[in-house]
Amino acid sequence: MILDVQGVTKVFPGPGKSKKIANDNITFTINEGEIFGLLGQNGAGKTTLVNQILGLLTPDRGDIQLLGKSVLQSPTLARSICSVQPQSQVPLGFLTPKQAVSLIGKMRAGKKYDPKRLDMLFEALDMGEWENKEGQKLSGGARRLAAFCMAVIVPGKLVILDEPTNDVDPVRRRYLWQVIRDLTNDGTSVILVTHNVVEAERAVDRVAIINEGKILTQGTPTEVKGSVSNQMRLELSLAKELKEIDIPNWALSTHQNGSRLFISMDPSEVPAAIEWAKVQVDKGQCIDYSLSPSTIEDAYIELTSKKEVVSS
Amino acid sequence: MNILSHYKYVFQMQFFRNSGFLVFMALIQILISIGIVIGFTYLIPNPDTKTILFLATGAPTIILIMTGLVILPQQVGTSKSDGYMEFMRTWPVKRSVILGADTILWLFITVPSIVVSAIVAHLMFSPGYDISWTVVPALLMIALTSIGVGYGFSYLLSPTTSLSISQIVVFGALMFSPVNFPMDRLPEWLQTLHEILPIYSMAEVMRASLAASTFDASIGNYINLFIWCVLGYGGAVFILNKN
Repeated sequence: MILDVQGVTKVFPGPGKSKKIANDNITFTINEGEIFGLLGQNGAGKTTLVNQILGLLTPDRGDIQLLGKSVLQSPTLARSICSVQPQSQVPLGFLTPKQAVSLIGKMRAGKKYDPKRLDMLFEALDMGEWENKEGQKLSGGARRLAAFCMAVIVPGKLVILDEPTNDVDPVRRRYLWQVIRDLTNDGTSVILVTHNVVEAERAVDRVAIINEGKILTQGTPTEVKGSVSNQMRLELSLAKELKEIDIPNWALSTHQNGSRLFISMDPSEVPAAIEWAKVQVDKGQCIDYSLSPSTIEDAYIELTSKKEVVSS
Repeated sequence: MNILSHYKYVFQMQFFRNSGFLVFMALIQILISIGIVIGFTYLIPNPDTKTILFLATGAPTIILIMTGLVILPQQVGTSKSDGYMEFMRTWPVKRSVILGADTILWLFITVPSIVVSAIVAHLMFSPGYDISWTVVPALLMIALTSIGVGYGFSYLLSPTTSLSISQIVVFGALMFSPVNFPMDRLPEWLQTLHEILPIYSMAEVMRASLAASTFDASIGNYINLFIWCVLGYGGAVFILNKN
């Protein structure tokens, strides 16, 4: 076991005498070579949790062990076991990505630093055009990738990536996931902090959904989906306002995101649903539709959404 | 891995990250220090040699105060708000190594201005420099005090608060501190205040080493600097290590 988080609670003082419980009795473990997704909305307490694992914050209650040693007792050890890509951009100033990545590599590995790995990473992420440009002149995506390389050039036993794909273009995102996958082949474990649930579903081995400081559920993506229900979902691209559509009575729940309408249903209702969706298209209410088994995003939304969803 | 090689890589990181800024700052410092020596002679009609010597030996102190207590806190404020400070805290090195590397960088940008302003003042006014061997330790001690105190308050306080303190310091050091003129011109309460604050001691120690035959610094001045230096760095390391 690489990481063992037991009953961690962290409370911050709020305005006046109020308190904000950022982490509430959080318990989970991470094994060697595992990618663990930490999903949650903004302000759910993900970054607070990460900072405690790194020893940058001290939990009010509970214990965190890295490789069997308590982080509370040796925070410096935590920083050498873990390498981190922070959520905020790393301001590189006049440093080029190549300089920044190789210096962090040397800082972590000393004489054992292997410059070939830098070339390999830059090649894998197609970063050649940026490697010798000053950081302050780079686009957000390029800087994000540079920060990613800084975290994985000499990966610790645990690599923590906080929203690594923000600002990164779709093509390089795919390269990025491949690099993350490759990391685990040599036994490195990864914590992936994100609210981009769709991408995370494909990448992670296990996942925890965290909301208002509590872990709501954790397990493999299949287990997490199963914890909600064995439902199907119909996704419609609306052409008109939602109120002009009559929600059919087989809908178990609905959820709207911009012009996309999601309806969940029992698998036995699939024929009726297709029939209904066709009628909506013919009437010009919606542009197109798709039907799929429920995703981890459905589970996530159902578990974390405060404004629950119109049900029939 | 040992502290020395950590130091080397942290230093390179900070140096290359700030390289453009450092060159720019060193140039500005040169202009300011020459400006103090020449500019103040416009304020005072027919300055005598003693007055000019006060200005010429005060300029280096002003530069060190500006670097440690004005520019440095501004930089710390920026790195607090843009997330770089938080990122540095995740590095697998001791926090004192980061502080040590940064200190040398700050020292670097002050040295050219001190040397250039002394040469310019000497060529223009020959005010009677008499440089003692103590100039190197004195300069180091003053610089470390100034940088240490700058780190201490800018790590401790919010960026906005430390920015306001910087503004007061720069004005106070130029106009209301016995750096460019003798202490006895100040009202008594300010004199008492300056016995406690480090600015007067910095100026005295600097003068005593740049014009050793004209000025003396007391043991009290050295002790004062030492205490402020320890307080500043101690506070900074404490804040950096605080969870």
